[in-house]
Amino acid sequence: MVIVRRVKPLPYWIVPVLALVVGLLISMIILYVMSGGVITPYDILLSIYYGFTNVGLLAKTFALLVIVGIGLLVSFKGAIWNIGGEGQFYMGVMLAAWVALFSGFAFNGFIAKTMMILMALLAGGFWALLAALPRAYLNIDEVPVTLMMNYIAYYIVNYITIGEWREKQYGYYRTVTIPESTMFQVIDGTTITLELLILMITIFILVWLMFKYTSLGLRIKVLSSNPNLLRSSGISVQLTILMALLLSGMIIGMAGAAYLGSVSHNISYPVEEKTPGYGYTGILVAWLSMLELIAVPIAAYIIGALHTAGINIQIMGVGGAAVVNVFIGSILLTYAVLITISEYKIKIIVKKR
Amino acid sequence: MATQAESSKSFFSSPSTETPIIKLEGITKRFPGVIALDNINLEIHRGKVHALLGENGAGKSTLVKILYGIYTPDGGRIYIDGRPVKIAGPMDAIRLGIVMVSQSPVIIDRLTVEENIVLGLEKLNMFAPIRRIREKINEVSKTVGVKIDPSTEVWKLSYTQKQLVEIVRGLLLGARVLLLDEAITYLPLEEKKKFYKFIRQFADEGGTVILITHKIPEAMDVADLITVLRRGRVVGTVPVKGTSIEEIRKMMFGEKSSEITYERLPLGSPSETILEINDLWVRGDFGDYAVKGANLKVRRGEVVGIAGVAGNGQKELIQAVMRLRPVEKGKIIYDNIDITNKTTHYLRLNGVGYIPDLPAKYGVSIENNILENIAIIPTFSKEIINWKHIKSLAYKLIREFEIKTPSPETPVKFLSGGNIMKVLVSRELTAATKLLVAYNPTRALDEATAIRVRKIIKSKVINENVAALIASEDLDEIFQISDTIVVMNSGKIVGVFPADKAKREEVEHLMVM
Amino acid sequence: MIEAIIALLAGMSSVFLAYYLAALGHAIVEKSGILNLAIDGIFVLSIAVAYAEAVYTNNNILASLLLTAIVAALFGILLAFLVTKFPISHGAAGLSMMFLGYGLASLVGLPARNLQGSIKGLEIGYTIDINNPVWIAVYIIIILIGLGALFFINKTKIGAAIRAAGEDPAAAEALGVNVLMVRLFAGALGFALIGLGGAVFELAYVQVWSEGTGMGHGWLAFAISLSAGRHPLLLILSSSVFAGLVKYMTTIQAMYNIPTDLAKMLPFVAAILAMVIFMATPLRRRLAPPKSLGKIYFREERTV
Repeated sequence: MVIVRRVKPLPYWIVPVLALVVGLLISMIILYVMSGGVITPYDILLSIYYGFTNVGLLAKTFALLVIVGIGLLVSFKGAIWNIGGEGQFYMGVMLAAWVALFSGFAFNGFIAKTMMILMALLAGGFWALLAALPRAYLNIDEVPVTLMMNYIAYYIVNYITIGEWREKQYGYYRTVTIPESTMFQVIDGTTITLELLILMITIFILVWLMFKYTSLGLRIKVLSSNPNLLRSSGISVQLTILMALLLSGMIIGMAGAAYLGSVSHNISYPVEEKTPGYGYTGILVAWLSMLELIAVPIAAYIIGALHTAGINIQIMGVGGAAVVNVFIGSILLTYAVLITISEYKIKIIVKKR
Repeated sequence: MATQAESSKSFFSSPSTETPIIKLEGITKRFPGVIALDNINLEIHRGKVHALLGENGAGKSTLVKILYGIYTPDGGRIYIDGRPVKIAGPMDAIRLGIVMVSQSPVIIDRLTVEENIVLGLEKLNMFAPIRRIREKINEVSKTVGVKIDPSTEVWKLSYTQKQLVEIVRGLLLGARVLLLDEAITYLPLEEKKKFYKFIRQFADEGGTVILITHKIPEAMDVADLITVLRRGRVVGTVPVKGTSIEEIRKMMFGEKSSEITYERLPLGSPSETILEINDLWVRGDFGDYAVKGANLKVRRGEVVGIAGVAGNGQKELIQAVMRLRPVEKGKIIYDNIDITNKTTHYLRLNGVGYIPDLPAKYGVSIENNILENIAIIPTFSKEIINWKHIKSLAYKLIREFEIKTPSPETPVKFLSGGNIMKVLVSRELTAATKLLVAYNPTRALDEATAIRVRKIIKSKVINENVAALIASEDLDEIFQISDTIVVMNSGKIVGVFPADKAKREEVEHLMVM
Repeated sequence: MIEAIIALLAGMSSVFLAYYLAALGHAIVEKSGILNLAIDGIFVLSIAVAYAEAVYTNNNILASLLLTAIVAALFGILLAFLVTKFPISHGAAGLSMMFLGYGLASLVGLPARNLQGSIKGLEIGYTIDINNPVWIAVYIIIILIGLGALFFINKTKIGAAIRAAGEDPAAAEALGVNVLMVRLFAGALGFALIGLGGAVFELAYVQVWSEGTGMGHGWLAFAISLSAGRHPLLLILSSSVFAGLVKYMTTIQAMYNIPTDLAKMLPFVAAILAMVIFMATPLRRRLAPPKSLGKIYFREERTV
């Protein structure tokens, strides 16, 4: 078997579409067989249909996945594999919660919400920078570092949630609910909040502008395609790496603030079990978009719908979060295999001896 | 090709009666855009040291890589001991008794000497402890004349020692044929002498050596036969006894071809000095000095061409000038400012254009389009990219250089090799308002385009009073474009000639000595 | 005093063994150059498989261990094959297997738990504590495995081949190593150990199962492995420290008033610090990650 590079790659939408179809087929087979026939393909298709059509349920997940997906895309474009979205997200949640609960800004909703987003941005950026520095200056692989930083973040948030910040009236394992004034404002007739929507659109436009019109955006792109060109052009590769991860963490941190303000309104303990897992699901969103910004909302919609679908099956009995994981796992694996086929041809050559 | 000298030795007179250990029949290998080997027929005989000579890109390395299973040929047959074989990987080659040692040591730094050696030793069981072969290694080492503790980790060894380890490894694996791909070219003279002795001895005991080199004296010193390759074809095979350096040189460079392209472009009129290199010492990739005390001056309005065979320090010199490689000792002065501690970025903002070696690797990003490949250079864009400006520049370059592309938005990877090169050259020529630094600026271009590009460079130098420092492995190019010709050999500048006084034979001689 | 220490050692022996096996397995996988992000998913899956098999076979420990090792090894082979034969991102392949592992674990475990609930008195597991002298054997076994692994990795030809494949697969191939076969072997062996670690974790330590059991403990083994620079003997040290930490978390908290969550952080902080130290000091010669870890490897011919 020989693998050679294709002269002309396949159109880029083929891989994600195929990955979705094949991945779902594999999921159906796995779920059917492993559940001993309890979960039938019919059930799955039905709940997927429900997931895709229930826009109301989907809206918040969709918007958050778009933001996280864009955040990851910024670093992925530079071939910097930020697996630490979870940590950056929760650092954002934590700092936003601090602003809402303790900073004293809560008297004014607008200032408080702006500060929540700003502090979350700084927190997410800082968290990413901790992995970016060793990557840029010591060439330490960012993948294990960002990944382990997730757990460090979880435990820091856990510590503060049931320590200083713990809700004391009833003794629940969570923080106090943030003040009404700091909660993001639900748009009438929907489940999405105004601030989340604005944030999503703003980030989308800013990142679009960055990749379209700034040298930084171009440098990040060239960082992945040919860092040697950066060097011979006189551009610091280290600085470009730092910027890619920093921006990525900042964007994801803001998603954390939006999550707190729009969805959770408090932090529940233990975080590693209560997390919606957007830092991980976002990876799938970014990959399925083929790192095309325009396609991020589409990928986020699909993944968000599958997420809802999985939870829906859970309601039907067997499976639990398992279904979602099987979906994500199969689609991602299929995607990883198929992506090579878009760029490479596989030739089977029979060896003659 | 029977000569007097040849027939004096009995086994030379009848090579056809004995089955050659290696016979190549019609070997062809194409790479995208190039034919690296074009119908090669060659016989290699037992007990001989057979040198393969040729310029860069003649196909020597490709040929031995095919014998070692690193490349698979597109066509042709390989016979070992008269039987057709298929060499699908290095393991197949080793089984056939073929072992390669190349210019850059292919051994793993964090493993010990014995570990590196044992990996190809099929006789040793996968789960066996390695120390069982320590004795054997010591034994073989003695025959080669080296003293290296087999339990040393390789990163502690010098370059020479690493090459020796590779030889020991080859012998231990039962090599009947040693492929030496520039393996001894960069060794210190003392070590080289020892190596020659060993090679001779190995051949006398019935072994076969295929020696790749571009140094004619080296081949004359140690080989029995010399085969010269040029542009992927065999020019001829001659026995060392009875030939001369001059004859080989002519075979290597080809007299006819040089006559055709030999047409010097008009000379420039040099003015003030813009680049000055004083006693420059730069280390190469293997840690040893690649540039050993070079002195050089480039004036505005002239092209200084550095002639030399690849690997004699030109690349490192150019990279040091561009501040892409640290300077160990010496000074580089550009535009009256010492730039030894400045960055590439500084040069980019101060009128220097740079055409690096291996354009697809260092000079352009093939995943990005033409516009992006222009905009990435700091010379052309600040923090916010002015795409209108970049676009009009791109159209200008596409027009002037006749770059064949559907549009400026086409990813560069869809262009042909020549057009990719044009994107790079045109961009850098625009960036070079004071100095152009280049390495093989016309590689991968067809003859006509190459001459066009040279003319454009030259006219820029003359009309806009720009300086150019150009290193090239193509001697025709050096002669055609330069006002001053500098010859580099083994890290030193061994000759400086005004272009109108330079004699080709003399330059070639200095290059390959 | 001595009695207290013995009790401590006996009590943590099962977690210690579980983490050590998983971390060692991870080390072997990564030594061959495969970036292993599947570890947590496969660890969780192994726990479920071990649990289910124990339920179905009326607590046949040996069968349970064996099946778990085989299942995990199959995933190791799949991962090794994908990332060596295709130009596939190690991260993507590993993460997708992590998710699959989580999902499959639930699907395997849930019916077994339902079954266990319906059979009165069916308890699974094999308790190793102060009352069971086997705990001493556990320590001996760990040391023997450590020495054996050290010899295997550093002194045998296959060990050298695994390291060569991790350092520079292209050079290894030129030196005569069949990189694919070596990585398949390392993947199978390493994941079998990870699987065994999961099985020990379930059978000797947790002994019950609910959805999500073991989540995060695979990453803990990952951190343990990295903080010891993937060295078989240093691993004994790091896994014992963090096993003790996990086992006696609540006691430590009560005695010294150290919050559990900060203690849980330690292995990950240690791992990152260790990575920085290993890269920035001369220790990198021995303990830095393999040079080609996670790098896409496949033979592509030159283009220009």
